[in-house]
Amino acid sequence: MSKQQEEVPYGTLDLLILKTLETMGTLHGYAIARRIEQVSGDSLQLSQGSVYPALIRLHQEGWISTDWGISETNRKVKFYSLTKAGRKQLLIEVANWEKSTALVARFLEPST
Amino acid sequence: MSVRRALARLLAIAGDRRRLDRELESEIRAHLELAEASALARGLSQEDARREAGRKFGGIEQMKEVHRDRRGVRWIETLVRDFRYGLASLLRAPGFTAIIVAVLALGIGGAVAMFSVVDAVLLRPLPFSEPGRIVRVWEAPRPGAVNATTVPQFLAWKRLASDFQALAAEQSVSAALNDPAGPIRLAGKEVTAAYFQVFDARAQIGRTFTSTEDQPGAAPAVVLSNAAWQTYFGSDPGILERRVILDGAPYQVIGVLRAGTFDRDRAQFWKPLVFTSAQLASDTHWLTVYGRLRPEATLAQARERLQAIYAATLETAPLEERKAAMAIAPIARLLVGANLERSIQVAFGAVFVVLLIACANVANLLFAQGAARRTELAVRAALGAGRGRLVSQLLTESLALCVLGGAAGVACAYLLIHLAAPLLAQSLPFTADVTLSPRVLGFAAALILAVVLLAGMFPAIDASFGNLADSLKRSDRGSSGRHIRVRRAVVIGEVALSLVLVSGALLLLRSLLNLQQLATGVRIDNVITMSADLPANVYRSPREAALFYRAAAARIRSTPGVENVGISTYLPLEWIGNGEAILLGGIDKLVRVRFKRVDPGYFHTLDIPVLAGRGITDHDREGSPRIIVINQALAARLADAAGMKEPVGKKVRLSSTDYLGQTPAILDVEIAGIIRSERTAAPGDPDPAVVYVPLAQSPSRHISLLVRTRQESAAILPAVRNAVRQIDPDLPLADIASMRQVHDRTLSGASRPAWLIGAFAFLAVLLAAIGLYGVASYSATQQRRELGIRIALGARREDVLAHVLRGALAMTAIGLGFGLLGVLALTRVMRNLLFEVSPLDPLALAFACVGMVLIGLLAGFLPANRASRIDPIVTLRDAG
Repeated sequence: MSKQQEEVPYGTLDLLILKTLETMGTLHGYAIARRIEQVSGDSLQLSQGSVYPALIRLHQEGWISTDWGISETNRKVKFYSLTKAGRKQLLIEVANWEKSTALVARFLEPST
Repeated sequence: MSVRRALARLLAIAGDRRRLDRELESEIRAHLELAEASALARGLSQEDARREAGRKFGGIEQMKEVHRDRRGVRWIETLVRDFRYGLASLLRAPGFTAIIVAVLALGIGGAVAMFSVVDAVLLRPLPFSEPGRIVRVWEAPRPGAVNATTVPQFLAWKRLASDFQALAAEQSVSAALNDPAGPIRLAGKEVTAAYFQVFDARAQIGRTFTSTEDQPGAAPAVVLSNAAWQTYFGSDPGILERRVILDGAPYQVIGVLRAGTFDRDRAQFWKPLVFTSAQLASDTHWLTVYGRLRPEATLAQARERLQAIYAATLETAPLEERKAAMAIAPIARLLVGANLERSIQVAFGAVFVVLLIACANVANLLFAQGAARRTELAVRAALGAGRGRLVSQLLTESLALCVLGGAAGVACAYLLIHLAAPLLAQSLPFTADVTLSPRVLGFAAALILAVVLLAGMFPAIDASFGNLADSLKRSDRGSSGRHIRVRRAVVIGEVALSLVLVSGALLLLRSLLNLQQLATGVRIDNVITMSADLPANVYRSPREAALFYRAAAARIRSTPGVENVGISTYLPLEWIGNGEAILLGGIDKLVRVRFKRVDPGYFHTLDIPVLAGRGITDHDREGSPRIIVINQALAARLADAAGMKEPVGKKVRLSSTDYLGQTPAILDVEIAGIIRSERTAAPGDPDPAVVYVPLAQSPSRHISLLVRTRQESAAILPAVRNAVRQIDPDLPLADIASMRQVHDRTLSGASRPAWLIGAFAFLAVLLAAIGLYGVASYSATQQRRELGIRIALGARREDVLAHVLRGALAMTAIGLGFGLLGVLALTRVMRNLLFEVSPLDPLALAFACVGMVLIGLLAGFLPANRASRIDPIVTLRDAG
């Protein structure tokens, strides 16, 4: 697997992006990356660039939509927002995540 | 994969790759700027801010790579990889691949070529504007008969029938064109002015006829076909300034038609048909009439009105014709005769069967291969490949095969069409342009796809849905029942279909042999035929024409190598014009006869014996008493109709037309002799009653020369040409053909499907043999262990041989049973194509069955022989 995905928990970048867009509404790529870093309390080793391949994939899946807009530095950039399908997907991903963490947690509980 | 996602991905590749790269680039730049700005805001120096932004972003190039990967299309990549993998595995087994590609190429090639013909003749609309409105009009003496019409009738229709936008009459003519290399005979048509309006044919240069050009006194004008303009006038753009000399008379070229449809017609020039006063009064039926209906007119309505017009003219019509009914038919129906349509359908059916067999064969081969690869697939499945992946991979492989086979097939079709072009041009209507059109290529693509599905799906599903773990365990042992059953069923089907084709081909072959042995009543070998048309403006009187015949015959006869020469108005074996009648003294009943003018050499040249009285001699010329010679069929008719037992020496009255072919006359003639009937019509029809009139007493401008040579040789032609040129240097000879060719041409309507279906049957047998061989050898391989044990237990070689052969023969026998049912079902279709052969001819069917059994034996023998040489020790050790 590629390098950047090792830096965030495996398979969770999609979830993080979807959740970010759900909370924050429409954002451009930099803002998404910054938001993820901030929420994680800057404890996450995220290569900010790695959000872009994830964004294109989410876009292809139809979970997010893009729009052209102007950044704070007056440059034309893409703004991303969650679609209806994306909201549904977020619910699925969250459920999956909870299921697997619950499973792992049960293994890690000290046996009594 | 959701439609939306697939679409988005497709758009991603379809969309400009560079655009996406550019967008990403600008996003990255914006990102870095934003990061830099925020770092600056935290108080870092410009330099540090930039460095930090870059560091936080991570590897830009790596990211771009991943980005490109992501937006690329996964399944297309998989497809390409499978395709490549498929090709590679095909190349590993070149023999297998070559066989399948060849089988597909033949099947698809044949089908596509045949479809091109079907498309050109039956499917594509005629290459005229609104072809449905173009009709032919005639008076039918009896239902179903197609007839020519008279000038007064045509003019009455033209004047009174309001349903037509244009109505025109035509007559085929020919003319000698003076060329530096010697005179050339061009086929042409005389047409009334509205002719090109009927077909909506436009001129590329100049114009077509105006309404005054077919009136008496109009300047002689001619319209050329595009092909004639190119061939004879070097595409001269100044052609309108030129006068062409046709039959020695100058004509003004007023137009050249656009390239296209009319270039495939026989006619190369058109000149106005101007009716003479004699023709205006004549009751001779000689005009072919075409019309273009008004947009709102219907066939039934137009026919009704024509019938009313016809009835109004009845009072002046001869008694004989009062029972005729008006007939009107779309030109498309007339161009494609019922015979041609049936031939095409049968040939297409045969091709389709071959294609079906080819598919079955490919499926069978893929099946065998799938079985052989069970181990490989099992390993891959064990390593985690999903069933869907395996099926899709196998399907992709068969797609690779079919693409190869399809490409080879289309190439094959192209070749076939080009090889068959001369034959097709001869037997198809001139409106048919046989090409690999987009529609045909579409058909090819659909076929290829169908073949993939048919041939690829079942083996693929079977190979991956069978119990893979099971096959891993026992990869090489025992036969797996389900496979072999399906494969056997496929082979049985192949055998059945092949039998249908083979017996069809044998029936047609028998029919062809019957036709070949048909007594023609004339000499076929060493006779060359050609035709000449004496121009009316050169040979103005019948006497001039008669002088020409005598001189030409004498000159040709004295040419070294020539044994004899005859002249007649129609070729032997071919159609003779009808419409004449014999009137018997005392009885007002007519005996309808056909009328052939022949010179004294005709009967001798063709070895036609005189049965009673005498033949035609040099003394039967102008001025001497008029005589006729009749054929046996007419003698029988006379005996029947008039009780005339001894016709020789009897006087009868004969209706006839004069030299220029227009004014009817009644002649008193004496029957001088009876000759044996020569065949003049298509096989199956009874010999018509024919009257032979001395050419010298009743000359015609249209003649055929029949030259009998000592040896079969076309080398005599220049000498014959030279002999004719010495008498008339401007007279071209045309339609040169040996009597053998004339013979084949007459019978070709029946022989062509025979050869075509013979070829298909051969292919089918070949394919069925391959199929049988494949299954027999596969099942022998599967039973190796069993056979090894048998041999170890003392089975003799013959026993093993018989065991394997029995399997192959059983399949053949069952296939033959089904095949015979198929033959039975097709009886009705075949009956129409056969001449004096029953569609269930026992000899042909027996022959076909025996042939198939022999092929089954042969296909089974090779693997059986191999199986009988099994070394039990090796086999058992291997398999254990």
